[in-house]
Amino acid sequence: MRPLTLAMAVLAATSLGGAREIADCRVVPGWEQDGPARTFVADNLFEYVDGNAEGYLAYGFIHLENVTCKSGGSTIVIDVSEMSDPDAAYGIFAANRDPKRPVATIGMGGQIQARSALFCKDKYYVEFTDNSDQGRDSALQAFVAETEKRIPGRSRPPEALSWFPPNKLKAIRLIPESVLGLRLLKRGYVAEYETGRAFVVTEDSAESASAVMNKLREHFGQSVPLAVGEESFQTKDRYLGGLCFFRKGRYLGGYANLPEGQDAAGLAAALATRLP
Amino acid sequence: MRPKSSRREFLALGLSLPAAGMISIGPMSQLTTSAAGPSPDTAGGLSYRVLGKTGLKVTTVGFGCAYTSDASVIERAADLGVNYFDTARVYQHGNNERMVGEALKRKRKDIILSSKTPSMRKEAALADLDTSLRELGTDYLDIWCLHGRDKPEHAPDDLIEAQQIAKKQGKIRFAGVSTHVAPVMIPFLVKKAAFDVVLVAHNFTMDKSTGALLEQAAQSEMGVVAMKIMAGGSTTMKATDPLFLKLQQPGAMLGALKWVLRNSSVHTTIPTMTDMAQLEENLKAMQEPLTAAEEKLLARRLEYLAPRYCRMCGECEGSCAQGLPVASILRYLTYAEGYGQFAHGREEFQALPAALTKVRCDDCPSCTVTCPYRVQVTDRVRRAQELFA
Repeated sequence: MRPLTLAMAVLAATSLGGAREIADCRVVPGWEQDGPARTFVADNLFEYVDGNAEGYLAYGFIHLENVTCKSGGSTIVIDVSEMSDPDAAYGIFAANRDPKRPVATIGMGGQIQARSALFCKDKYYVEFTDNSDQGRDSALQAFVAETEKRIPGRSRPPEALSWFPPNKLKAIRLIPESVLGLRLLKRGYVAEYETGRAFVVTEDSAESASAVMNKLREHFGQSVPLAVGEESFQTKDRYLGGLCFFRKGRYLGGYANLPEGQDAAGLAAALATRLP
Repeated sequence: MRPKSSRREFLALGLSLPAAGMISIGPMSQLTTSAAGPSPDTAGGLSYRVLGKTGLKVTTVGFGCAYTSDASVIERAADLGVNYFDTARVYQHGNNERMVGEALKRKRKDIILSSKTPSMRKEAALADLDTSLRELGTDYLDIWCLHGRDKPEHAPDDLIEAQQIAKKQGKIRFAGVSTHVAPVMIPFLVKKAAFDVVLVAHNFTMDKSTGALLEQAAQSEMGVVAMKIMAGGSTTMKATDPLFLKLQQPGAMLGALKWVLRNSSVHTTIPTMTDMAQLEENLKAMQEPLTAAEEKLLARRLEYLAPRYCRMCGECEGSCAQGLPVASILRYLTYAEGYGQFAHGREEFQALPAALTKVRCDDCPSCTVTCPYRVQVTDRVRRAQELFA
């Protein structure tokens, strides 16, 4: 091996250490690793999650460690992905979780189903695929519990989740680009409610947020000013329904898909007061 | 059985190079002229072609929903007349199907809906189909594909039977396969004659023989849907590269879509569309021809990719002092890096005589191989040795 390649391999092994230590079959008695562990980085992730790799890359994917655990004729596959930061790990979890099911208190959030489980903790997003015999559900649950314990760091969900009023809230997602399908709104959280959706986009500065507000006004044309935050307006869109936008410092927030007659200003004001 | 293509077959078929902006096979600085055929049927700023034996009239620009940020973008595309929409069971663990179903519920009768199953067994695939139908909020799919099948054994009779059962039950109208490896799969699919549609990677980085494969599929009356059209855009480039900056400008990617549409064997395309701006940009491909400036930009992108990829011209044959079959080794590397078929690449490499798999380029003081296309042969073979040996 050439010296440079060797150095790169050593560096990679060092940085991969965390995920490698997390994905361990021996955490559940009676199970052992079947075959070698495999590592995937952004350049070759498509070899493993063919057709879905971009979904990981959009959330700041760094690398994935994959092991298959075996006990008798049963197997459980563990995939530990290291993302760029805890927000990104939560982002991919929220994109992949079943919004119809509740989020369990596993790490920053998790879900266990009959044949699969997923959770996020700190900057790690972990998925389990269970090919066990019937009646081995406890093995999957044990793997989730033991693997979660092996991840140090943050179990507290992103602060942004607390920004959204909880009443009639269904689910919150991190949209990695083009919030509401608008390129102007680069990256942000969208909360789905029983009626309508709330959103918050964090810009680099109050100035850049203000510039985006101006472009939004231009984009939607006719609008009505509101008295929320430092600047705000209300408008309508064929696809986004009743809409309102406000700016509070470097935060852009608002609601979309509000039905006719909904108090957009009141909702926006309630959201604005929860922002830092 | 493992597909075993000879070098001769490979040269005859050419490479289908999916992976996203990573591969160039065509003549350097000269784009392959795709098989320009009759003009598509056009109306109201949209152009249409017939999707092979399905008889479905599809807009030449369809919609790849995998990474769309918001349902409103899909809904608007349908309102604008785009009628082909592609999703898959695996996208966001099924959440993508939910979003697509919600976005298209008002338009279901007017659009052609395609989804895919990753399952390798009949029962699991049929269960996937039921889940897809439930999540999409529909009682039938127009096209149901086996997802990402890059070897014939990944499209076995068992799964073909699943598609036939689904047809009889009225849950699907047509059966398809998606693949990244056209040279391996299209001849198989044509011979098998069990599929109505093939969803295949196709873009400007590919050479004429890829076009010939698509023509072969179209002539056998399969519907041909092209994916990976943008060849990865700027994802493989450094942010400081002038070409990267050029590709960030509005409309810079449109030429890649127009290039694919010049090929009349391609019936529709499924560019991924994230937002409204991208939707509006892509729709222009149905109205405007490929311009000289766009062709020049595509040529620049090819030039950027050029040093990495073998054109299989055969000029290097017999020129390695150690007797390495250089072009074949580069092909194995392409399987891994281009097709996402690392295991297949390694398998082919390991099938070489032991005396050749032990050779290391670093052991030679200088390389006797030269490439007329300036492919950095030593680096590429060294890379293959690192990966596979």
